[in-house]
Amino acid sequence: MSIDEDLNTCVGCGLCLPHCPTFRISGEEALSPRGRIAIMRSVESGSIAVDDDVAHFLNTCIQCRGCEPACPSGVPYGRLIEHTKQRLATDPRVANSTVPRWLRLGLGVLPRHRLVLVGSRVLAVARRMHLVPRRLDPGPIPVRNGPALRATSTTPDVWIFTGCVMDAWQRRTHRSTARIVSSLGASFGVSGGACCGALHTHAGLDSRDLAHRTMRSMPGNAPILVNSAGCGAALKDYGHLLDSDEARAFSTRVLDVHEWLAPRVHVLPRPTRRDQVVVQDPCHLRHVQRAHGAVRECLAPFVDLIEIADDGLCCGAGGAYALLQPTMAREARSHKVAAIEAVAGRGTVVASANPGCLQHLMAAGLDVRHPVDIIAATLDSST
Amino acid sequence: MTRRADDFHAELARGVADIHRNPVEVALFDHDASTISGRAGVVVYPTSADEVIHVVRTCHRHDRPFVARGAGTGLAGGATPLDGAVVICLTKMNRVLSVDPINRFAWVEPGVLNLDLSRQMTALGHDLHFAPDPSSQQSCTVGGNVANNSGGPHCLADGVTSAHVLGLEVVLSDGQVVVLGGEEPEPDGFDLRGAFVGSEGMFGIATKVCVRLTQNPPTVRTMLLDFTSVRDGADTVSAIIASGMVPAALEMMDALCIKAVEEYVHAGLPLDAAAVLLVEVTGLVSDVTAQAERVAEIGRRLHARTVRVARDEAERALLWKGRKSAFGAVARIKPNYYLHDTVVPRRHLPDVLDEIYRIVDRHELLVLNVFHAGDGNLHPLLVFDKREPGILERVHAAGEEIVKASVAAGGVLSGEHGIGLEKRDYMSLMFSEIDLAAQAAVRCAFDPSGLANPFKVLPSPASCGDIQHVPEGAWI
Repeated sequence: MSIDEDLNTCVGCGLCLPHCPTFRISGEEALSPRGRIAIMRSVESGSIAVDDDVAHFLNTCIQCRGCEPACPSGVPYGRLIEHTKQRLATDPRVANSTVPRWLRLGLGVLPRHRLVLVGSRVLAVARRMHLVPRRLDPGPIPVRNGPALRATSTTPDVWIFTGCVMDAWQRRTHRSTARIVSSLGASFGVSGGACCGALHTHAGLDSRDLAHRTMRSMPGNAPILVNSAGCGAALKDYGHLLDSDEARAFSTRVLDVHEWLAPRVHVLPRPTRRDQVVVQDPCHLRHVQRAHGAVRECLAPFVDLIEIADDGLCCGAGGAYALLQPTMAREARSHKVAAIEAVAGRGTVVASANPGCLQHLMAAGLDVRHPVDIIAATLDSST
Repeated sequence: MTRRADDFHAELARGVADIHRNPVEVALFDHDASTISGRAGVVVYPTSADEVIHVVRTCHRHDRPFVARGAGTGLAGGATPLDGAVVICLTKMNRVLSVDPINRFAWVEPGVLNLDLSRQMTALGHDLHFAPDPSSQQSCTVGGNVANNSGGPHCLADGVTSAHVLGLEVVLSDGQVVVLGGEEPEPDGFDLRGAFVGSEGMFGIATKVCVRLTQNPPTVRTMLLDFTSVRDGADTVSAIIASGMVPAALEMMDALCIKAVEEYVHAGLPLDAAAVLLVEVTGLVSDVTAQAERVAEIGRRLHARTVRVARDEAERALLWKGRKSAFGAVARIKPNYYLHDTVVPRRHLPDVLDEIYRIVDRHELLVLNVFHAGDGNLHPLLVFDKREPGILERVHAAGEEIVKASVAAGGVLSGEHGIGLEKRDYMSLMFSEIDLAAQAAVRCAFDPSGLANPFKVLPSPASCGDIQHVPEGAWI
């Protein structure tokens, strides 16, 4: 379907409003999916001039896509906003407010993995020395990372996608993933420093080169396991992004790590003690990949799950969103923290299967862990 | 911008913080969820009753019309501003102010979302909910429910919004604040609260609502009956009520609606059925079992193919999600819709439905029927693509014939969506000039200035000076 057709599938019923984090925070129509779709329609038809206000209405969208499952008409909101962001990022009037120079620079670094690793280390040290302003605090980052994950086979049973920032900040989760995959008797390959381009797509930048590089890093037909919900959603969308048979075939190989684990996890040894864990659904796992059920299946044998009663409302992390719109991101986070505290005591472990959400919530002082790390830790306690 | 407009905006800004004048943003308020468009002037988001009072007073001083708006889910153009009216958007006044679980009421601000209110009761540990449940209940506000006297599937047994509003704090069009009704179940004097509920924003703006809270039912059973003819489904509705039962909800969807909804919810709805009935019975376990058996028995007698009982809460939620998302799901068939919500006597349901299908065929249109069958409240959705030349005229012509057919069968114009702009000009089908003058007199008693949501509901608004007394022979 064309963008025009897609925009026309919105009948304006408003059922999306309560599922939009920025509408929840602001109560404003212009910061709701229905409002933004109407604005995108006017931008697309050329009936309004794009100015800073218009850019603000659209750039405050976290792109969580919580409105999609709520939409009875099936409006493909994610595609619409990505398309519109591309327009804004290339429109000289608002390109700078949409993708500021520092962000362009930062996103340019992501595909250079060695730079990402060094830069992260500098950031980690600066953070320890309290040189990072609180407003921009990314949450805990390890100064020492341990060795990079190594493939156990050149013709692996599965690939583990390690990504860019996640490999620098949360390499422990890759090790946990590898450990579980190995204890299930499967060999694995590693993608190396390929960057999936999700953050670039969100910002409205061209990520097709990155997609090609990522595809080349994991050849063959073996399933590709992704432990970052945001990257997983991007990899699954390559078929659409590149519009080629090769990309479509690649996308069908991509699984969120929990989708692969869920049918296998029952053979792992049970822990001697069961802790309580709050499950927080990353938006791109729940609303986009719709694979949040698998996280529960994976965790249930090992811990007692506590659900949050907020319909999976976004925590405000949104990739680089927390840096671009710090005020809105923090407000979304305080809603999430309140929803967590309503169902669980302070200090209860929170499980979150996306590095962005994890960092964002850790920066608020919560004990957040990747489900894979939780499962790997119970393996330690049971052996 | 003229000097006068500048003065007006400057004065507004002195007492309300959140004013929006960007034309792109303001244009979003030109319409509600209906297809009728107007023109918004400026948008304000008050956060307190004091701010509402200031805005209303300023409008009054400058002779500017104003329109109160909630989530903009209305379907009759009730919140559509005309001629650059000031839009007072109440979505930021969304606090539950106090809850009295013993006496079962709560004071809330008008911007609280309907479903949030019930969810907050659960979160606070109260086994209570707010009974009116329009299909848009996840998004619509309590203030909007008050304005339209909204219904919903469960209003068959529980009654519509008016039965669940005890009291109101209202800002009148000159900025005066009055309290109508109150916490007591039966306050003395005229029931002005009753007059205000359903007044579509034309009597003033509610800034606090005292809502009645209803005990959650101990047991719920939800059933889906499917039929190969619409008439059998409609007959079953009448037979269930005639047997002396009032189920908690009794809803019907026809074939095209089933198709649209099933594509969205994947609830296993029968795509080859002509109609399905969604029936919910509530009460104590033994009672619910007996009622459910009786419903199934009546259904089978009237040729229901299958009777499916929701096994658990998840299946029940899925069936309701399907029903409540029907309006939005129509975009899977055509991008636009236009609907009426006439009410007809239950026993005439089968005939009126037949007539609707005939009217729609004649105009070569498509219709989806999804409605509160238990109280005869129809929702024929005419679906179309407005880019098709000449289609709007056909849609409106068919709509008018449907309304006339409903009224001819002894029905009324609107069950729950309100009259707004959409049905304003049909009012004379129902009411004589004398009756309309009487209604205008009531309006004038609340809003002599005529600034509160003007040009809605009443077809030819007389100015208050013309109305000396209620004409003889009027009925309201």
